[in-house]
Amino acid sequence: MSMTQRIKTIFPFLLLLAVISLLAYELYQGKPPESLSNLIGESMPAFTVNNLYSKEPPLTNDYFQNEVVLLNVWASWCEACRLEHEMLMKISKQNLIPIYGLAYNDKESDAKQLLQTLGNPYKMVGIDNSGDLSIELGIYGTPETFIINRGNIVYKQIGPIDQKTWDKTLYPFIKKLK
Amino acid sequence: MIKNKYNAITLVLGVLLFIFMKQIPAASLNDEERYINLTQQIRCLVCQNQNIQDSNASLAKDLRRKIYALILEKKSDQDIKNYLTKRYGDIILLKPRLNNLTFLLWFFPIIGMLILCYYLYNFFKSQPSTMLK
Repeated sequence: MSMTQRIKTIFPFLLLLAVISLLAYELYQGKPPESLSNLIGESMPAFTVNNLYSKEPPLTNDYFQNEVVLLNVWASWCEACRLEHEMLMKISKQNLIPIYGLAYNDKESDAKQLLQTLGNPYKMVGIDNSGDLSIELGIYGTPETFIINRGNIVYKQIGPIDQKTWDKTLYPFIKKLK
Repeated sequence: MIKNKYNAITLVLGVLLFIFMKQIPAASLNDEERYINLTQQIRCLVCQNQNIQDSNASLAKDLRRKIYALILEKKSDQDIKNYLTKRYGDIILLKPRLNNLTFLLWFFPIIGMLILCYYLYNFFKSQPSTMLK
């Protein structure tokens, strides 16, 4: 058998092996597909939602227009948000960046209860029970955190912020914007 | 008289059933059809591989309501899909769109078949035929 012939015979098997390896990799090592928001670079949509503390003024996008802020979407029923809470408290104590909160699909009493026991890292907390604002922001799982630079969405973190993501990603990003 | 009474009860029950069967009243038959069609094509992101019509997740409910509102605003199907992919990415569509990223995904079966045919053709051509002898 000549060399080219040999390659020709082996090639289909190699191709099959490659496809099977790819499938096996995706099956065992692949990450579940993530929603990729295309909102980065867009301006924050205009909105008004009730304040969690109903006596205080509503949360609107006007608060985001003139500075760099974090907008953290959370819920009291969300375990990952509870885990993240400590980190948010830490960040808020640094006085580096104001954190605004948006309680998603939550009971007012439960949300208040959580902030009372674990502390309140937020400058202001809105509540979105209709889900309208959350859809507008492409929220599909809490917690999600936006970095908003003078009214523009510049970064979106899906999942809890821990020390590592803060040190490696969020903090340097914010530092650059300031 | 009795017959009339039963008719009346049937009518009332029928009307009640009609009211409660419909989750959301549609503005027109055409809108209803579009609503049903669209909600079948949108993925529920928290219970993947289910569409938002079948899903009971709160996100699915919110998305159904949003789609309904957009239909009432006279947005086209394409507008609604664009609205959703802008916010949630292409993954929200159960059927991937055809673009240069998904070209291979859509056409690999055909390309694979062609490669296979080529090999089979070569294989049989190189084999001396024993069948016809």
